[in-house]
Amino acid sequence: MTLSNLETRWAEAALGAIFPGSKDAGMAGIRGMDVRGFLSEVLGAVPFQAALGLRIAIWLVALAPLFIIGRFKTISGLTQPDRERVVAALVGHRSYALRSLTLILKTMGALLWAGDDAVRAHMLAPAPAPAPKNELIPLRVKRAAVA
Amino acid sequence: MSHDHDHHHDHDHTHFPDDDLPEGSVVDGAALTKDIEEAFDFIVVGSGAAGAVAAHTLAKAGHSVAIVEEGPWVKTREFGERVYEAFRRMYRDSGTQVLEGHSYIPLIQGRCVGGSTVMNSAIAHRTPEDVLAEWDENFGLGAHVSAKALEPHFDALEQELNVHAVNDDVLGENNRLFLDEARKESLPARKMHRYERNCRGSGRCVTGCPSAAKQGMNVSYVPWALALGARIFASCRVERVIIEGGRATGVLARGSHDVRLRARRGVIVAASTIQTPNILARSGLRSRAIGEHFQCHPGFGVGGVFDNPVTMGFGATQGAECIALRRTEKIKLETISMAPELAAVRIPGIGHELMQRMGSFANLAVWAVVVRAEAEGTVRPGWGGRDRVKLSLTPRDMEHTRKGTAILARMMFEAGAREVWPGIYGLPGVLTSVDQVKLIEQAPADSRLFSMITTHLFGAARMGVDPRTSVVGPDFQAHEARGLWVVDSSVFPTNLGVNPQHSIMGMSRLAATRIAQAASRGSSAAA
Repeated sequence: MTLSNLETRWAEAALGAIFPGSKDAGMAGIRGMDVRGFLSEVLGAVPFQAALGLRIAIWLVALAPLFIIGRFKTISGLTQPDRERVVAALVGHRSYALRSLTLILKTMGALLWAGDDAVRAHMLAPAPAPAPKNELIPLRVKRAAVA
Repeated sequence: MSHDHDHHHDHDHTHFPDDDLPEGSVVDGAALTKDIEEAFDFIVVGSGAAGAVAAHTLAKAGHSVAIVEEGPWVKTREFGERVYEAFRRMYRDSGTQVLEGHSYIPLIQGRCVGGSTVMNSAIAHRTPEDVLAEWDENFGLGAHVSAKALEPHFDALEQELNVHAVNDDVLGENNRLFLDEARKESLPARKMHRYERNCRGSGRCVTGCPSAAKQGMNVSYVPWALALGARIFASCRVERVIIEGGRATGVLARGSHDVRLRARRGVIVAASTIQTPNILARSGLRSRAIGEHFQCHPGFGVGGVFDNPVTMGFGATQGAECIALRRTEKIKLETISMAPELAAVRIPGIGHELMQRMGSFANLAVWAVVVRAEAEGTVRPGWGGRDRVKLSLTPRDMEHTRKGTAILARMMFEAGAREVWPGIYGLPGVLTSVDQVKLIEQAPADSRLFSMITTHLFGAARMGVDPRTSVVGPDFQAHEARGLWVVDSSVFPTNLGVNPQHSIMGMSRLAATRIAQAASRGSSAAA
């Protein structure tokens, strides 16, 4: 089973919404990785049912803008914030089938994205300690009454 | 990480047990240029915990043995860090196998020489005595499979595979946090006992131990059996056991060509809980018990973010546990260090929210609850030659899961976690105070709300005295065919509540010892 160019673009857009990368954390996004090559390899390696599930998941996310945010566009036609909105709605959808299918995409993306050397290096590096939770309490000095 | 550099460096100089195998002992079924037909005393189907131990026991008793393994032999030097590569090369269905039921639960099995012992955490637990008592009372196994009968085999396995508690120098922070907090709460916990020699704490059990420290079957009983003259046919899928006149006389397997192996004395099936029942069915056995009473131990992980680094990339992948609640709550609590790829699936959220959380990965601890589920399911042949496994967890199973999750979340907060990520649908993705643990306790006991996973599998070719309700007798021999023994966890009448590898190996060694003794008696009688 192979993906068409259109399906690959949808998959890239959907995975880009899930793993956009982070400049602050110095982590690359999945869009800069070989999504096409990876998905081709996965589809060739997994059993037919799993490949079919991945394909259905791609179609689901591709067409979701219509029923999630009422936009007559596919996922690749949306801006990044709107893509994230759509995928977030699917991941948190009350329908078990919809959120499970979306999770298939997240799983595949995770295997590619977090398998990247640079991303792994950032993830495994210790994070800076957070700011202390308790702010300093301002001291109030009462002047003693002078007799 | 410096630890990984160490491993790569060591790869060049260290000798691994799977480096130099006896010439001609390994047949690569994927590279056959013609059909093969050979004869051995015994044919063992499967090279995991059960098959490898049986093959070694029989070879040691002086018998000629062939092991037939569906998956390839991936050598220690070929193990990498990436989870996808491991999935593709060593996991059944590239890691996409699922339990079908009320919810879909990923089901993890190895498909390579060594089976699931290549990617598990090598945790050793003797079969609990209360479980053996249950088997005796409900299934009439009696002295055939008792603590006394198993004891010498457990002793031998523990010595040969160097079972011991995790060493302090490779304990790692994830495990230490769990042990410290359990101690504070007076919860009986301990360092896990594992099969390993000189573990370096690479935290890479799931992708194959890069230093061959983990005593998986790929670096222990399989090479040891080959050294005793056994042969292994890797990348050969067993289509069926050949049964003639009510007796097992060989197996038909397929690699790139047909492999027909004749068994002079018998066939031992040890292909795992999922594959064994379907092989038996394909071989013409008609027992109504085949594929029934499948059980498992579903597991559920909870993440906690701490102020200080936890660094799951270093330390025993699984190194601490509590089994004190096994009988009362049907749960086992344990640690599990996750590879970045698996954590990225499990960490809540998507997009920039997910990226922000992934930035805390180094400070993330993951602990898990494993449930002795009462649910029973079925194993059947699936579409396209695959296996179809159905099981729906019961509300009581989910209540136990929920209770264990709440205990772990509370422990994490008490241990100093600033956030706990429960991963339960309908709850906030991030809990920030111990007061919020009550949200977990109030969550519906519905498996569709929990992202679970299962690795421990039991039943589906159950042992028992009644041929109407069991597939093999207490002597491990199929009721329907002489010379056909089943020695893997498919014969377990129930699940255990603890990690099963030790029980599987103990039962297999017990069975193979008896088979070898009977074969010797037969030879003496014939002489």
